[in-house]
Amino acid sequence: MAYRHLKKFKIDPILYMTEWFMCIFSRTLPWASVLRVWDMFFCEGVKIVFRVGLVLLKHTLGSVDKLRSCQGMYETMEKLRSLPVHCMQEDILLPEVSSLPVTDALIERESNTQLRKWRENRGELQYRPSRRLHGAKQIYEEKARLNPTLSGSRLSLSSMRRPSPPATPALAVQPESVVVSEGLRPALPSPTSNKAPLGPPRGTTKKGKEKQREQDKKREREERDREKKREKEDREERRKEKEREKHKEKEEKRLQKEREKVETRQKKERKFSFRRKESSTPDSPRNSGAEATESSAAHDTYF
Amino acid sequence: MHSHHTEHLYKILVIGDLGVGKTSIIKRYVHQNFSPHYRATIGVDFALKVLTWDSDTVVRLQLWDIAGQERFGNMTRVYYREAVGAFIVFDVTRPATFEAVTKWKEDLDSKLTLSNGVPVSAVLLANKCDQGKDGLTNNCTKMDQFCKEHGFVGWFETSAKENINVDEASRCLVKHIIASESDLIQSVEPDVVKPQMNSSKIPSCSACLKF
Repeated sequence: MAYRHLKKFKIDPILYMTEWFMCIFSRTLPWASVLRVWDMFFCEGVKIVFRVGLVLLKHTLGSVDKLRSCQGMYETMEKLRSLPVHCMQEDILLPEVSSLPVTDALIERESNTQLRKWRENRGELQYRPSRRLHGAKQIYEEKARLNPTLSGSRLSLSSMRRPSPPATPALAVQPESVVVSEGLRPALPSPTSNKAPLGPPRGTTKKGKEKQREQDKKREREERDREKKREKEDREERRKEKEREKHKEKEEKRLQKEREKVETRQKKERKFSFRRKESSTPDSPRNSGAEATESSAAHDTYF
Repeated sequence: MHSHHTEHLYKILVIGDLGVGKTSIIKRYVHQNFSPHYRATIGVDFALKVLTWDSDTVVRLQLWDIAGQERFGNMTRVYYREAVGAFIVFDVTRPATFEAVTKWKEDLDSKLTLSNGVPVSAVLLANKCDQGKDGLTNNCTKMDQFCKEHGFVGWFETSAKENINVDEASRCLVKHIIASESDLIQSVEPDVVKPQMNSSKIPSCSACLKF
């Protein structure tokens, strides 16, 4: 419903989502909610950002009553800029965010669909999209699988390491004696070697991965080199990725619409279980009916 | 041409480099206030100003306050769409922002034209004129020349802080928008002869001589 409304007034996601996504809602939500959302985002990944956006949209434009009061592009935009206060409260927003069935797989699939469409309509992309890792948990697991070519290992391990080496000569002594020392000194060969520049940063990574300590040391150097190259590529990627995300948001609005259909259907036929519908609907209507609107939507807007 | 009790809705862009005062100008113009604190615009912001143009015409200006940061540069095409006029703002105390004006104008003209292919009306605003009276804007003839070369319909020294020339600049832009709109209507139906159109030709030109 909201999607149709936004489309009717040609309100491109780029007009209201830029601030939401670029600031991860820190300019939008009350502080308590920001903290909760960021926690979830870091842990579970990008799907949280989409979920929050969808919940906010639902509360702002998700019913006939709400839409009636904002007939017109400007009115709708005003509404999206002054979201209903109650729905941004921590205890209302967060449960809804966690119950929304937008999964990593769903996002990944939408992303691929959109990328394919983009290629069909506008030719090949100038960058190579890397695999997206969804949150700290997956990044950690990915890293454990020891696949250093993926962006995940850079995000977690090396970013922890990188800032520390330059700090060591000056700062090594203090934090060592205060925080890290108790647990780690016994594990290291000698107390004097602790004061060597490379001691402390290694120690902190070992904390998390004691079993792979030795492998880590070897990989550390290789990774640093790779990391530098990757960082350059990554800046460009990030820029493009934002564009991609906008596409996805659009798709998700459609999904939300479908979900609404499901809800109304649920009222009619209560025999089916909730789960069965959630899993069956995203496939069936999209391939038939929504496919047409989707492609036309992709045509009319971007660049 | 403009029938009685007409209402126009114009989308107007406000563009220019980072921190030149685009948001402040809009705030002054629409809400009649000024805040000395800087808060970067992310993406785009909106404001609506309703003008009583004359006794039969109401003009609603939809002002699109577009982020000046370079990282938003590739989004501008979406923001520009369907706009009919633009303010390009620079900061008189920072010459680099004036140099960027040309870039902004080129970006605008390359991504947006009216349906007859004519570039949209653009007014140049030399903002923060309360802060410095250095060489940039003292040289009026040079500025006039610059406007002519780069296709601006005019320029104003403005101050959002002291409320200088903001209304005047807007009136100038609206005047040109109305004028080019009537040009547009004529060019859309070039073969249709309407006897009453003769009288309407007059206002479209007189506007240019105003300043």
